[in-house]
Parts: sequence; structure tokens; C-alpha cells
Amino acid sequence: MTTQVQITDEILVEEPLLSARQVTMQFGGLTAVNKVDLDIHPGEIVGLIGPNGAGKTTFFNCLTGMYQPTAGQVLFAGAVLPPQPRKVAVAGVARTFQNIRLFHNMTALENVMVGRYARTKTNAIEAILRLPRHRREEAETREVAQQWLDFVGLGDAAESLSRNMPYGDQRRLEIARALALEPKLLLLDEPTAGMNPQETREAEELITRIRGLGMAVLVIEHDMRFIFSLCDRVACLVRGEVLIDDVPEVVQNDPRVIEAYIGSPVDMPGEQEEAPRPDVSTLAPSKPVLEFPPNAINPIIGHRTKPGGRKDA
Amino acid sequence: MDLLIQQLINGLSLGALYALIAVGYTVVYGIVQLINFAHGEVFMMGAFGSYTTWMLMGSPTNLSIGVALGLVLPAMILGGVLVSVGTALLMERFAYRPLRNAPRLAPLISAIGLSIGLQEAVRLFYGQIPGFPDSRRAIPFPVIEGLTGRSIQVGGVTIQHSAIFTLGALLICAALLWWFVNKTRMGRAMQATSQDADTARLMGINVDKAIATAFAVGAALAAVAGVAHGLRYNNIDFQMGFMAGMKAFTAAVLGGIGNINGAVVGGLVLGIVEAMATTYIPGQFGSSAWKDVWAFAILILVLVFRPQGLLGAKVVDRA
Amino acid sequence: MSTLHEFLSRWAGPARWVGLGGAVLVMVAAFLPWAYLPAALDNVTYYGEPSILQWLGFALGFVTAACLVASPILAAKASPRTRRLLNLNRGATAAATASLVYQAIAAIAVALELGGLITLEPGAWLGVVGAAVAALATRALHAGSDARLRYLPTPAWAQILGIVVVLALVLVAAAYGLGLEDPGAFVAFGTFCGLAAWVLARVGIMGWISAAAAANRSALVLASFVVAFVFPFTQNGSDANMSIAAGVLIFAATAMGLNIVVGLAGLLDLGYIAFLGAGAFTAATLSESAFATLGWHPPFPIVMLIAGCVSALLGLLIGSPTLRVSGDYLAIVTLAFGEIFRITMNNLDGSDGPNITRGSNGIPAIPNLDVFGFNFGESHVIAGFDIGRFANYYWLLLLVLALIIVVFVNLNKSRIGRGWVAIREDERAAEAMGVNVFGLKLLAFAGGAFLAGVAGSVKAHVDVSVTPDQYVFMESAFLVAGIVLGGMGTVGGVLVGAAILKLLPEKLRFFEDYRLLLFGLLLIVMMRFRPEGLLPDQRRQLEFHAEDDELAEEADAQALPDLATAGAALSATKEDRA
Repeated sequence: MTTQVQITDEILVEEPLLSARQVTMQFGGLTAVNKVDLDIHPGEIVGLIGPNGAGKTTFFNCLTGMYQPTAGQVLFAGAVLPPQPRKVAVAGVARTFQNIRLFHNMTALENVMVGRYARTKTNAIEAILRLPRHRREEAETREVAQQWLDFVGLGDAAESLSRNMPYGDQRRLEIARALALEPKLLLLDEPTAGMNPQETREAEELITRIRGLGMAVLVIEHDMRFIFSLCDRVACLVRGEVLIDDVPEVVQNDPRVIEAYIGSPVDMPGEQEEAPRPDVSTLAPSKPVLEFPPNAINPIIGHRTKPGGRKDA
Repeated sequence: MDLLIQQLINGLSLGALYALIAVGYTVVYGIVQLINFAHGEVFMMGAFGSYTTWMLMGSPTNLSIGVALGLVLPAMILGGVLVSVGTALLMERFAYRPLRNAPRLAPLISAIGLSIGLQEAVRLFYGQIPGFPDSRRAIPFPVIEGLTGRSIQVGGVTIQHSAIFTLGALLICAALLWWFVNKTRMGRAMQATSQDADTARLMGINVDKAIATAFAVGAALAAVAGVAHGLRYNNIDFQMGFMAGMKAFTAAVLGGIGNINGAVVGGLVLGIVEAMATTYIPGQFGSSAWKDVWAFAILILVLVFRPQGLLGAKVVDRA
Repeated sequence: MSTLHEFLSRWAGPARWVGLGGAVLVMVAAFLPWAYLPAALDNVTYYGEPSILQWLGFALGFVTAACLVASPILAAKASPRTRRLLNLNRGATAAATASLVYQAIAAIAVALELGGLITLEPGAWLGVVGAAVAALATRALHAGSDARLRYLPTPAWAQILGIVVVLALVLVAAAYGLGLEDPGAFVAFGTFCGLAAWVLARVGIMGWISAAAAANRSALVLASFVVAFVFPFTQNGSDANMSIAAGVLIFAATAMGLNIVVGLAGLLDLGYIAFLGAGAFTAATLSESAFATLGWHPPFPIVMLIAGCVSALLGLLIGSPTLRVSGDYLAIVTLAFGEIFRITMNNLDGSDGPNITRGSNGIPAIPNLDVFGFNFGESHVIAGFDIGRFANYYWLLLLVLALIIVVFVNLNKSRIGRGWVAIREDERAAEAMGVNVFGLKLLAFAGGAFLAGVAGSVKAHVDVSVTPDQYVFMESAFLVAGIVLGGMGTVGGVLVGAAILKLLPEKLRFFEDYRLLLFGLLLIVMMRFRPEGLLPDQRRQLEFHAEDDELAEEADAQALPDLATAGAALSATKEDRA
């Protein structure tokens, strides 16, 4: 049933940072994620692809503690991740959201400062009496948050309300907020959804720089060009199971992957004309749908599963 | 044994009253995820509406049982329903609808305002109508021949006619409600709206109307409860909605808020628990002075151990 | 309205002269009698000798006229930069409208108090008519853009001077207002204060003051505290007004604690009064009252601490199970808790339960505080001024209020405050970012309870007796109303809300019966039209107006640190829009 995890030579030596073992998630009678194994090593960029309804987001939620897997476990740095989003974040796994979830009425800087919450310790008494630790940590939080804003290229927008920022900047701000947690692993849920090619290129460059800091990154994406040019390794999830997990070149040419996206070759004609767009729900309301240049369209982008396919819960 | 059965029956009839009110909380919550804090006052308005109807009929007394039960009581119920439904619709239209996209704190605070405002309006102005009794004090509820003060004796157990009325009213209302929600177009529209208002709107459902209907349905049942309350306690007052509303809300949470069957079950269970608590809790804490405390303690316990309620609620948490 | 404005704006030239005429009429009216008998508005019956309230009417007329005259001069003579500092056209419109409201209220008050319109003398009519003419005419003026006085670089001493002047005015106004016995006069004066603030805001002066206040926070705090401290000396030993002031402070302190829970953490607590009650009952049972049921009488500072802890413990007890479930439930559960508290206090009377609170009789005859040899019950003479019992408690309550404000402000500005904002904005995102959502909610809830407990322990001594019926749901609703009216999440808002909600009923005894009805309506209307309150927290304002992008842009422009840039940016955006 499951495909064995293939480990490329260069990272064989290290212990996995995150290791999902036989993770299974059932909702009533529905098995959304079935015995998924996935290892992520320090400093690695791993892509997670799969048609809509394949269980990517459900699996993501199992990793971030939103769901407790019905079976199997997720190990992070050798310990089992607790099924609570906060503890997962504190342990060193930060995430962004598919539909941007910034604190809209806070400035960009304040958003990132919230990301520092778990890394600071001032308690209520110290804050009320403005004791030294409070003052030190406040200054430090501000400084570090500004550094992360600079890192993602939003240094000048620190005082903007996040709700007034352009869409692409909001995505980057969300990444800065996650980075402020100083995680060992960053989970990005469709980081380029709704971005134009220019912004997508910038995102790619940003993620590469994040890896340069020594963090591992797991990316869910529908933009295949983006995934295959960015990732060290790509896992393809179909109907809740890992179909293949290998270097991009192998996954890209695997006939099963193409079939999973497009269906059997007979279905091919005509499919191309249907709007090859990412899931509409990933776009923020009132934002224009973004154009994709014709040459960027990969035939396997964003096609919906055949009728009867599962929906992500 | 007689005592147990007696308390069971007392509890059931009290619970039926709670259940009739609880449906209003649950229907509205199910469709707009709003706790209509002022629903207790809708119930109070229903009771005053039925009393007003009786006054307008010339405060008939000493009637034959047939006239009292066949004419006067139905008219009173109808009058109560009209008043409470009107109140609820106005409330929805002018206080809640403009706040539908506001932060959740806003409608809740509005609801407190409505609750206080309605109580005070009745207290200050109802008695000013010429010929009407002073509404600052409790007003004796009309005597309905064949119901008021009558009871039947089965073995060692006494059953008030008003208790039979309340339970009967609950049965009929529950059946009608079931039919309405499941078998009519509007009922299905309400269900669709409660699942996903935006999609329902895209499907051509008049969401505003569906929501208003939910308020109206809850209000109608609350008016019936208002009459039942009057018959049971023989008087009504402007504050009656406060405690009854809180108990009914507890019942709705107990059954699983958003779940209509749950509201009925929750109401009955709460009534029985209250009746049993005053009988079977030993010592000073078993006195009736503590019964409200036990009811609210149940509310808190349910929220801790089974927040979805006995029958399970709609899952409101949307990721 | 806009069509009216379009129509009128064709007559902008002559309108200035008509408006000026109206304003002059208003000024002249101040020198004529307004009422037939001296019983209304503290006597407004003299020719040529305006009373204070008439001088206030004159002032509004004068400001209208001054704005009308100065506006074209400013436009013609001043540099473009200076011209933009004030918006005199808008000021003229506001002052004329304020005049109309003020004159109308004064006239209505006279008519109500003396019985009918017949009791109005020509001065009142002239004032109303003149103000109406001016208000209508000034609508034709070109409104122009926002005044930019707030961006004017001002030396620190001038800013501090400005703050001191404003606070001194507040003190004078408070002392004068509290001294007014006549309800009509009180309403007219209160209205005038609100209108004056509004006119200043429209001209642009308020913007400068708030900028000065923001730049000199510590000076503002110090000056406000001094003003509040000095207040008893303005009362000539009258304990009646000090008793009202003490009541306002108790209410403000409690509401400020609740504001941490509601305004900062976003948790609607409808049973908050129970925590105040718990503190009061704790202090009462530990007091030296002959009716106290416990035999232990520790010194008051310790009692305060115990009272706070008892309340906080109750807060933990009720909060830890319920704060995990959705916020709506919390509102009802806290309401239920409030009822449980009231019923329990009633039942602990020895027959339905152990005798702790003496049931509905409560604990009377709580002696005055005697801390470190200072007896709060005795009058003291300080610097020649008589300081009575309530003034003593007023100072103590001022300290308690200051303590709660410090807690409020410092928590708000810390990582904890940021966590609360994050929770209000998006609870699940906050959780995913490592914010301890449950812990922070519990902190707000129990911390708020602690502060209420402390306030309650003082209240027990001020009130002399503690009974369960002082701590009913309506009191909780008032507290919420105070916060909603003033502005969620701000210190100034709560103080204003508390002052309005406590002062009005004290001064307007005749409408006491309608008090609750009006509060109910107030809550509904506020939620519908200005949910953020009179003095809103900017972020709260944005939260309540999620679709208002213009408001958000304005907020952005104001957040820019450099004043010059801000001015330029603002003028740019305004120009674009115009």
C-alpha cells in the first residue's frame, strides 16, 4: 500500500528532524490520510503535492497539532509532537495558512512581535511593574521582529496595518511572523497561491534563503514549476496515501503522478481548457484573481479530482 | 415511590416549560450562531400578549369549560403568539440584522440592551394603558375554567391540569416544529441556511427571510410557554423572562445547542433534575432556595465535560 | 443631506454673512432674559447681565462668528502651510450646530421646568432662531480637508502647558457641574461640555491636544492625577458631592477592571459584579462590625489582599472550565455565575446554609477604616480646607483606581497585551503562533476578578453595609454599559463612561424611573451606530468597522512616525480623494 520512503544520498547521514510514522486520520468512516510516512531532515525543502482532496491539508493539520491522528505518530526531534497547536509551535514547528490569517488590525511589526510570544518569558507581574526583564524583552522583541521584516523584504512596511498591505506582502508577512518563532521546521500551506509570477519568483528566493538559515521547510503547493524547481524532495499524496516520495526529477516524470492529476489518458482531451486555477478558496476575498502567464501553466496544475474524490476535511 | 413519581411528573411539566423556551434559543443559534439573550423577554412578551388578549375580550370570567378551553384559551394563545412573534421580528430586523457582520461582542451587548429595554418598557408603560393592572407588581393570570387549580389524583400522585396542558403543548409544538423544519420549503431553506448561509444565498434562498422565520418560530413556542407559565404559577410579571430564559438556555446547552431535539430533551432533563434536587439532596442544600444553583451548576458541568451537549450540537468551529 | 449641501454651496458667499448675522443674534440673545421666572436654569431672567449658562451660549455664538470672520482672512493672508493648520469653515459649522443644540436644550429645559413654551422670554427665542439661521447658513461653506494642527511641531513646554490648561478646565467644569442643583442647568452644562469638545475637534485643536497628550504621556498622567487629587478642595467640605464622586470612583475602578476582561481580552463577562461582591463580603466578614460572622479581624491592607484573592479564586473556579469553550457561552455562564453568587449569598443565612453572610439582611454597621492611625470616618482640616469622610475615601479610591489603571496600561503594552489582541483578532492563528490562548484568557479573567475584589473591599467600608441585593445582574449590565459607552479598551473611555452613567442618575433624580430603559436603549443604539464607544481605542474601532477601508488608511497615515511625512502623506491622500 504505502510507498517506502526513498532517501537521497546527501541527507542519508542525518537523523530526520520530523518523522511522520504511519499517520492515519479518519473522520467517521472516511479515511482522509492513510498510513503516511514522511521524513524531513534539517535544512531540507520538501514539497507535498497531490490533487485536491488528496488529504494534504488534513496531513498538515496532523503535523501542526490541529488534529490528533487516529493512528500513527509524528516525531519531532526525537519526541512525539503533542496534539496541541501551541505546543507544536513552541517545540519549533511554525506554519502559515492557506487562506492568510494575519492579525488584520495590527501593524506588520506587531504581527511579527506576536510570533515572538513563545520565545519571551515576561510574566504579568513583571509587565505591570515594568521590571528589567520586561523592558529588555520588549526592546529585543521589537528589534528581532524588525529584523525578520527586513529578512522578508518588508522592513519599510513595519508600521502599516496588515489589512492595508498588498496581497503578496501579506503572504510574506505571514512567513515573517512564523519565522519570528525561530522554528526548526517551517510549514507553508500554498505560499504562492494567488501570487503573480514575479511574486512567485521572490517567494522561491525567500524560501531558499530560509533554508540557508538552517531551517527545514515543508511546502504544500499546486504550482508544479515552483515545487519542482525549489524542492529537494517531493512527496505526492493521492487519496490519503503517499504515492511517491523522491527527488523532483523522478516525481515529475512518474506516470502515476500524472495519472493521479489528470486521470486516465482517455480523459485528457478537453480537460486543458478548463480553468487551470488554484482552488478559489485560497484567494482572499475581494482580491482580484491573479493572472498566470500562459507559459507557466503546467497541464497538471490545479485540476479537480474526478467525481467521488474526497474533499479535505 | 409515590414521591418519586410525583417529583418525576413535577419535573416533566416544569421541564416542558423550559423546553418550549429552549427551542427558541436553539433554532436561532443553529441558524445565525447568535445567543439571543433577549429570548426570555420574548417569552415574557408572549405571556403579556395573552393577558392583553384576555383583557381585550372583556376579561371574561366564570365561563363554562367549553367556552374557556375552546374559545378563550386558544384566543389567548394566538394573541400571545402574535405579540411575541412581532417582538422577535422587530428585534431581528432592527437590532440584530445590522450587526450580522460585526464582531460577536456587538450582538451580545445589543441583546442585553434589548432584554433590559423590554423589561423596563413593560414595567413602565403596560400599566399606563387605561384599565390595565399595575405592571410593576406581579399580575394575576386569568382563571381558565377546567385548567386553573384543577388536578387529578392517580394513586398517591397529584397531577395539575396545567401540567397536562404544558406537556400536551410541548408534544403538539414539537410535532408541528418537526413537520415544519423537515417537510416545508421554508423549513428546508432554514436548514440550508444554517449549514452555510452564503451557499444558501447562491442557491436562491432568501436568507434574511429564513433567519427571520427562525426567530418567529422560536417566539411562537415561547408565547405558548408564556401561557403555560401563567397557568402554572397563576401570575406573570415583567421579570419572569430573566430566570426562565436562563434556565431554558441551560436546557438548550444541555441538549446540545443548535439541535432542536436536544432542546426538548435538555428541557425535560433539567426540569427533572431540579425537581429531584429539592427532594433528594439532604440537609440545608436540598432546600428549594438552592434549586437554581443546582440548575446553573449543571450548565457549567455540561460545558466542562460535554460541551456538545447530550445529543450533540452542530460543530460551529470552522477552521 | 448631501443634496441640501449641494444646493446650499451655491450660496457660499452670502452664506458667510447670513451665518455671521445668526451668530450675532445668538450673542445678543445672551444679554436678554431666557425665562419668565428665576426658578429655571439657575436664573436666566436678567437684562444685560448674562448668567454663566448664558455666557456659555454667548461663547458658542462668538466662536461661530470668529470662525466665520477669520476663515477668509486666513485663506487670503496666510501661507498655504499655515492655512491648513486649522479648519475654520468646519469649525464654524460645528459651532453653529452646537449653538443650535445648546440653545434648544436650554429652551426645552426652561419650558419643562416652568411649564410650557409661554414661559420662554425673547432671549431664548432669539437664541434658537439665530443659531438655526447660523447652522443652516454655515452648511453652505466649503468643508475643506482635515485640520493639520496635530502635526504642528510644538516645543514640549507649550504642549505641557496645553495639557495643564485643558485639565484645569476639566477641574473647573467638574466642580461647577457637580455644584449645579437644577437638573435643567446640569443637562445644559453637560451638553455644553460635550459640544465644546466636539467643536474643538472639528476646528483641529483637539487633534493638537491629543498629539500633545500622546507625546507627553507622563506629564498628562501626573497632571490628571493632581487634578483628581485636588478635587476635594473645591467642594468646601460638602460631603454630598464627595459621596457622588466616591461612587463614581468605585464604579470607574470596577469598570476599569472589567475593561481588562472585556476590552483587552475580549471576554464578555456578565457576572463581574459578583467579584466585586465577593470582595465586599470578604471585607465585611473580616471587619470589626458587630455582625461580622468571622472572629478574625486582620488589618485592612491584608483584608484587601485576601478579598482580591478570594475573588481571583472564584474567577479561576469559574473561568478554568468555561474559558475553553466558545466566547458566547462564557457570557451566559458568567451570567449564571452571577446568579449563583447572589443566591448563595442570600442562602448563607444559617437556615438554608451555614451562617456567613446573614442572608438578605447582609452585614451592616461596618466601621470606618482606620489605617496606620488615620481614621477615614473623621473630618480633617488640611491647609484650611475641611476634608470629610467621603473625601477620605475618595482619595483611597483614587489610589485603587490608579493601581488598576497601571495594571491595565502596563499589561496592554506588554507581550501579554499583544497576545490578547492576537486572540481577539484570530484565536486559532494566535494559538498556532505559540500564544498561550487559554492561559492569557484565564489571566485576564482571574486578574480582573482580583482587582474587583480589591475594589469591593473598599466599597464595603464606604457603603457601611453589604447586602446581596447590591450585587445583582443589573449592576453587571451597567458596568458593561459604562465600558461600551466610553470606549472598549481605553482608560479615558471608561472614566467618561463611568462619569456619565453615575453622575446623570444622581443629578437627574426625576427620571430615575426611566434610567434602566434608557440604558437598554443606549446599549442597542451604541452597538448599531458607534460600537467602539465615545473615546475608542483605535484598534477596537477598526475591529468594529471591518469593511471601512478609509478608516484603516487613516489609521495607517496616523501611525507614520515622522510628523512631517505624515502631514505630506495625509495631504496627498486627501488631495487625491477631493
